[in-house]
Amino acid sequence: MGTTLEHDAVQGADQQGAAQQGATVQPSAETPLASRRRFFTTAATAAAALVAATPEKATAQGGRRARRKAPEPVRGVSLSLATVAPPPDAQLAVWRDPVARLVRRCTLGITKEELERARALGVARYLDEQLKPNVIDDRAVSAFVAANYRTLSMTPEELYGADQGLVNRELQESTIYRAVFSKRQLYERMVEFWTDHFSIDTEKVGYLKTTDDRDVIRRHAMGKYPALLRASAHSAAMMAYLDQPASRRGRINENYAREIMELHSVGADGGYTQEDVNELARVLTGWTVSGRGIFTYDAQLHDFGPKSVMGRTIPATAQARGLAGKDEAERIIDMLSLHPRTALYVAGKMTRYLLQYDPTDALVQAVAAEFTRTRGDIPAMIRVILTEQNLMVAPAKHKRPFHLAVSAVRALGPNVTSTGYVRGQLDAMGQTLFNWETPDGYPDKMEFWAGLALSRWNMAMGVVSQTGAAFNFDVTPFVGTTAETGTELIIDRLFGGEVPESLRTRLRTFLRTSPTNTARVREAVGLALSSAQFQWY
Amino acid sequence: MSQHDQQTGCDEYNALTRRAFVGAATGLVAAATMPAWMPKVVLAQSASSRDIIVSVFLRGGSDGLSMVYPFTDTNYYTGRPTIAIPRPDSNDPNRGIALNNQFAMSRAMSALMPAYQAGNLLAVQGAGLVNNTRSHFDAQRFIEVGKAADPNLVTGWLGRHLATSTPMRSNAPLRALGLSQGLPRTLVGGPNTIPVPNPGNYGIAGSATTRAERTAWLREDYAEVDTSIGAKALDALNTVQLLNNINFTAYAPSGGAVYPNTGFGRGMRSAAALIKADIGIEALQLDLGGWDTHSAQAPLLGGMARSMQDLAGSLAAFHADVLTGGVSYNVTVVVLSEFGRNVRENGSQGTDHGRGTCMLVMGPGIAGGRVLTNNWVPLARENLESQQDLRVTIDHRDILAEIVTRRLGNNNLGVIFPSYVPTVRGVTL
Repeated sequence: MGTTLEHDAVQGADQQGAAQQGATVQPSAETPLASRRRFFTTAATAAAALVAATPEKATAQGGRRARRKAPEPVRGVSLSLATVAPPPDAQLAVWRDPVARLVRRCTLGITKEELERARALGVARYLDEQLKPNVIDDRAVSAFVAANYRTLSMTPEELYGADQGLVNRELQESTIYRAVFSKRQLYERMVEFWTDHFSIDTEKVGYLKTTDDRDVIRRHAMGKYPALLRASAHSAAMMAYLDQPASRRGRINENYAREIMELHSVGADGGYTQEDVNELARVLTGWTVSGRGIFTYDAQLHDFGPKSVMGRTIPATAQARGLAGKDEAERIIDMLSLHPRTALYVAGKMTRYLLQYDPTDALVQAVAAEFTRTRGDIPAMIRVILTEQNLMVAPAKHKRPFHLAVSAVRALGPNVTSTGYVRGQLDAMGQTLFNWETPDGYPDKMEFWAGLALSRWNMAMGVVSQTGAAFNFDVTPFVGTTAETGTELIIDRLFGGEVPESLRTRLRTFLRTSPTNTARVREAVGLALSSAQFQWY
Repeated sequence: MSQHDQQTGCDEYNALTRRAFVGAATGLVAAATMPAWMPKVVLAQSASSRDIIVSVFLRGGSDGLSMVYPFTDTNYYTGRPTIAIPRPDSNDPNRGIALNNQFAMSRAMSALMPAYQAGNLLAVQGAGLVNNTRSHFDAQRFIEVGKAADPNLVTGWLGRHLATSTPMRSNAPLRALGLSQGLPRTLVGGPNTIPVPNPGNYGIAGSATTRAERTAWLREDYAEVDTSIGAKALDALNTVQLLNNINFTAYAPSGGAVYPNTGFGRGMRSAAALIKADIGIEALQLDLGGWDTHSAQAPLLGGMARSMQDLAGSLAAFHADVLTGGVSYNVTVVVLSEFGRNVRENGSQGTDHGRGTCMLVMGPGIAGGRVLTNNWVPLARENLESQQDLRVTIDHRDILAEIVTRRLGNNNLGVIFPSYVPTVRGVTL
């Protein structure tokens, strides 16, 4: 059960300064109850560690931390695990409500309304509902999207003729709009996941990503993984992004052949060799793009010679048989889509994304087994991941900029006719949508985003100041009659009522000078969105 | 010798600030003798003569054979019918510039010739990972952490250098920064290390009236957080305070240096300003993308030529500005990439993922003005790895380890490059 417990052990090792233990930290055999007690202890320690806010003290504290994480020079690899950030158990300590934990994982941010609804349904029924996005009435959002982002439904030919800046903007802004307002929240989270898994940079493929988003990612995000992989392999955008049209008999380009194995299916440890990459590239020759962005198989480009990929041999085919060449790759992709290494790779990645950074092997194996049993059914795998038991021991995850901005907007509940403001903030925070250059997608690693506090605070302060027609944050529901009542309104709406006492005190102190002044309340809400507590889910 | 000691008119100022570091942290004194862009606050002087390091990662796998190429090797030309750089002794207007009687530098990198001729620039050909992965992500990770295929090693080699050395200046609020959106893996694990995408625009938004109060609020809030998030947030707040005292816009490069107006050029310009501001920063990491040239590589006039011009122009400006411009600063610049590319071009006038590539090392303490190789052989098919790639004959860690020990004054190689015994290649003076 215990990745959480594992973390406790790591922390313990750190505190003893025994960094040498690094490489082999064994899961503790403690019960979940004991580990929860540990959370409270950790929180208490954290609170006790609150030091006066002078620069000297802060520096000194930073130095203490640095020493603890990076101890005296020692031989060997001892710094490895010791420098892994410990989990944010302090956040977990105050998250007692299992429903709220589920909502944090299933959505792009708690809202008062979402939490009330989830509490009424309970964990099982709420998850059930979110796993069937098609039965959730989302007509209001669909209508808004259809009316305001016309390029989303265009054919490649129409997209080619459209204003390219508009195409890119609409794809980004509609994604933000849906993430904020759609009732199909878990579906939107899976869209985010698969967008990174099958990452495509619009810098390279331009408008083609609009078709990939619609016909690949959104069509299959909550469906079956093999269908998703197949759709991606038939995506003009993916072909263009990974240079597949440049590959032909005798002059292969291995880019797509490599990434479909390394990043999309079996993973880098999936047991293939450089020879397999070359061979798959030969198998894929002829898969290309025609016209303004139509996936096409061109037999003229195909290598009809005998090939072998990961032990699967493909005999030579008579060139005259044309289309038979296309089926060679289809069969290999089918094989990859249900390969045991794919089950493991996809299971691990989904579990890390939905639940925790470092799940236990046992949990990943269980999710992989469900993949195999259901032939890659995505909702079935999520059911294994998001159990109440898992949720109650999983350490919090750090919100990436997209998640953070969307959760801020969801909590504020503004009137929005354009999400352009949020799009700009994502650029500033380093997560411009569909714009990660390499095919591995934006990192879901705390250490990658850890240093970006300033742009996150500035986003928070910016978003609470918006009063324009396109994006209007009405602060009224956050204004109390006293600092105390105002603080509770903020805590209720932003945190589902669950915060450490120290944050409550700090918000009250800030509001106390003029608790009913709306400018002051806006700043208090901005600080609450900037607070460490709001960075987790 | 530290640069400020050599600078005229600084003695009084230095004495003052050395005496009054604690006061300095809360903001004081303007120095009449300092250029306008300089920080109003200068922290205690470093007694160290260690180099500052600027590390540049070329993301995507740079084709080293288009940067520094063996022009006497006919295999190079037969393997690359459309993308080879013409011989320096040809009449082709796109010909390269001879570095010695075997290697030439691409014309797109000619801005670096003064640094090369001054003996400050070393090209290391055939450098890279011993591990033969051709995955961008694995190779970048292995290079940045300083060890291949160790899932437990998550910190970067430069981060561990910082973690195992005393700060060049005690109490420096910021020891290293990545001029990037996220913290590059190379720097992970470094104390007082954060990403700063644009040092000239780094401050707390919102009303100026409440800024100090809100800043204090955030400092208190994040001081409670016992994870890297908390430490990094405090680093950010301290950095705001620090960088606000430097006027990057008014920064005037020395030596007639003109930085290209590109993301990378502006980054190198900011790096120069930060180094000259003398605030205790000892490592900077920059990324430059666009090297994954699977198709239409165009190293003469097209895409890769522009990438090389950007790289070379920015490094050359930095050389003129920081390494030779009036005052010579003790800085070592390292440029590396995850791997090179196939010796033979592919079907789309590009090159696929390969192995060995070209590293660049620049600095006054570098034994430059030459091309460093190890058992260089002609690029004939039978000499290539998998019959297609330049072999890695120099482990990138050999170069970095020598810089770490000889220029950065850190002997903890067992921590910085675990399980590896580097070979000394004579990179430093």
